[in-house]
Amino acid sequence: MTPGPIATGKKKIAFPRVADYSGVFRYWVEQCLDQTYILQPKCTHHTLEVGARYSPDSVCTPFKTALGSMIEALDLGADTLVMSHGLCRLGYYGELMEQILRDLGYQFEFVNFAAYSTGRSKDLLKGVKQLAPKMKAARFLTHVMDGVKMCAYIDDITSKYYQNCGFDPSGTYRAAFKRFLRAMDMVHSRPEIDEAYREASYAFAQAPLDKPERPLRVGVVGEFFTVMDAFSNLDLEQTLADMGVEVHRWMNVSNRIFHYPGEKNLNVEIRDLCTYEMGPTSTATIWAARKYARRGFDGLIHVKSAGCTPEIDVMPVLQTIGREEKIPILYLTYDVQTGEAGLMTRLEAFYDMLAMRKEVL
Amino acid sequence: MSATVGLPQGMLYHRYGLLWRTFFQELGIETVRSGQTTKEIMDRGAALCVDEACLSAKIFLGHVDALVGRCTYILVPRVSSFGHKRMMCTRFEAMPDIVRNVFRDRGQQFLHYDLDVNQHHDEPDAFLALGTALGCTKKAAKKAYAAAKKEERRRYKERVAAEEALYKKEGMKILIAAHSYVIEDPYLGRPVLDILKGLGAIPIRADLTDREAAVKRSAELSPTIKWEMNREILGGLAAHWDQVDGIVLLSAFPCGPDSMVNEIILHQIRDVPILNLTLDAQSGTAGVETRLESFVDIIHFKEGTL
Ligand code: SF4
Ligand code: SF4
Repeated sequence: MTPGPIATGKKKIAFPRVADYSGVFRYWVEQCLDQTYILQPKCTHHTLEVGARYSPDSVCTPFKTALGSMIEALDLGADTLVMSHGLCRLGYYGELMEQILRDLGYQFEFVNFAAYSTGRSKDLLKGVKQLAPKMKAARFLTHVMDGVKMCAYIDDITSKYYQNCGFDPSGTYRAAFKRFLRAMDMVHSRPEIDEAYREASYAFAQAPLDKPERPLRVGVVGEFFTVMDAFSNLDLEQTLADMGVEVHRWMNVSNRIFHYPGEKNLNVEIRDLCTYEMGPTSTATIWAARKYARRGFDGLIHVKSAGCTPEIDVMPVLQTIGREEKIPILYLTYDVQTGEAGLMTRLEAFYDMLAMRKEVL
Repeated sequence: MSATVGLPQGMLYHRYGLLWRTFFQELGIETVRSGQTTKEIMDRGAALCVDEACLSAKIFLGHVDALVGRCTYILVPRVSSFGHKRMMCTRFEAMPDIVRNVFRDRGQQFLHYDLDVNQHHDEPDAFLALGTALGCTKKAAKKAYAAAKKEERRRYKERVAAEEALYKKEGMKILIAAHSYVIEDPYLGRPVLDILKGLGAIPIRADLTDREAAVKRSAELSPTIKWEMNREILGGLAAHWDQVDGIVLLSAFPCGPDSMVNEIILHQIRDVPILNLTLDAQSGTAGVETRLESFVDIIHFKEGTL
């Protein structure tokens, strides 16, 4: 690994962009670790193209996006890249990414939490120590909790937003949501975090909505990264909302990571569909899909990246749910070639079908 | 006891077939096998399977289908982990439930066991549960497992010894990195072995190696790799890559772990010619033959033996 801190004494740390959580990583790096964070601009098609160019073809798409995002960060002057450990292939992303970036000639320090992941959390702390040797435990913990709170706020606001923004003639939701996300990328302290959340909640509560009594409701389920990351799913939730759909998505960082009820607890409710844990997000996907179906939703959309093994394996179970609960399911697979036009056609057809069914029923 | 257990001859059968057969035989339970992969099995499996799944999974579902209605139970275990960073591809975690849903309306009963060391179910536990679920006493199940395991170990040692002997042979040696169910399948890897032999080369399997040692050695090529079967293959490569003239990375399309691990291998081993060969249902062996031929030519050319 290349040597540590440079002239300013602070590392310039980057992590791939993930949905709207980049502000949280930035907050952690700046407040917990007292280092500089390099925040890339939002992903563009160029990000994905660059990532795909240097990735093996059949690796799942989030790897390609993450690699592109790392290259952008390096070009912006990042000198320290961080990759998380994780379930599934994610836990192996880091090693391959480092290989590829080094072969491209980039110089950087690489902190791969997969290398520190031994099954004991105290070893993960060693990874943190590599990032910030002088880190103080008390300060660290308080600010970690601030970041967890940020995730909770982001998830709460995002979920309210997509449930209602399709019925917002004055555009209040949209404006408040934008302001809120911008604030989350810039906050420095807990009061600022709370204030941004209060402001967005207030704006939402005041917005005059024009919503039918029984709007079309669609539940979006699927692979962790692609389902949350608007860039990767080509703004699926906004597109649906703009058609006049109430969009629900259970999967987010708070629900899956910080407040996860546990594989076993969720599995109890879907025992008749699956006996075991089938993959990192499978239980959650199946559980949420059936919950939406039983709550009378009009349709489900299953989202995954191309080559996502665990979410491919969930599909036979979703097909059972579709048949038994009589709910239409649209299956979307995203890869580098997926275009907005093709997606739009499929979403419109799906919407028309749901609208027609609703009239008949 | 008149229950019969069906053993689908795809995927894990190639790893555990002998263990299963001996275990059930010791318990006096009859087994039925689906037979070698045929075109029909492959097509049937492809029709039942989600299109985006790997070819190995499609073939496996074809084997399950061939057994439906022919036995009391079909054995589809869940094999998840052997320890930290010793995971199976998630498809092996999912398989019992995939099968349960795909064959939901066919009135077939399935038999599972759960091998997940990270959740404190090791192999002896899993087989104890399997035996008792079939109505055997704990004692009988334990005894049957012990006998089966012994037989498995003995036979595996023999196979490894036979494979290692190949390195001492004269001739062009080609190391094949592939999952057992890919290399042994008559529709996937077997033709590759035959073609290579026809070209005068000696194909040697990287996965037939002392597994525990290989898992440890895999770190030489990849420090954070987390898939058990890929670690075995990598360990085999680490031990032998400098004793061979070429390496073939053989995968079923589209393989999650291989898509990443093969790339790492290509970055790590630079001094030996490597052919990256992916098999899908459409391609057949025609294209494969041409690619293997030119690969062997390249090796001859490089070594000045053409
Ligand atoms: S869950 Fe899917 S997309 Fe994520 S790492 Fe695993 S295979 Fe790739
Ligand atoms: S390791 Fe590859 S071939 Fe084997 S089940 Fe997983 S995806 Fe399929």
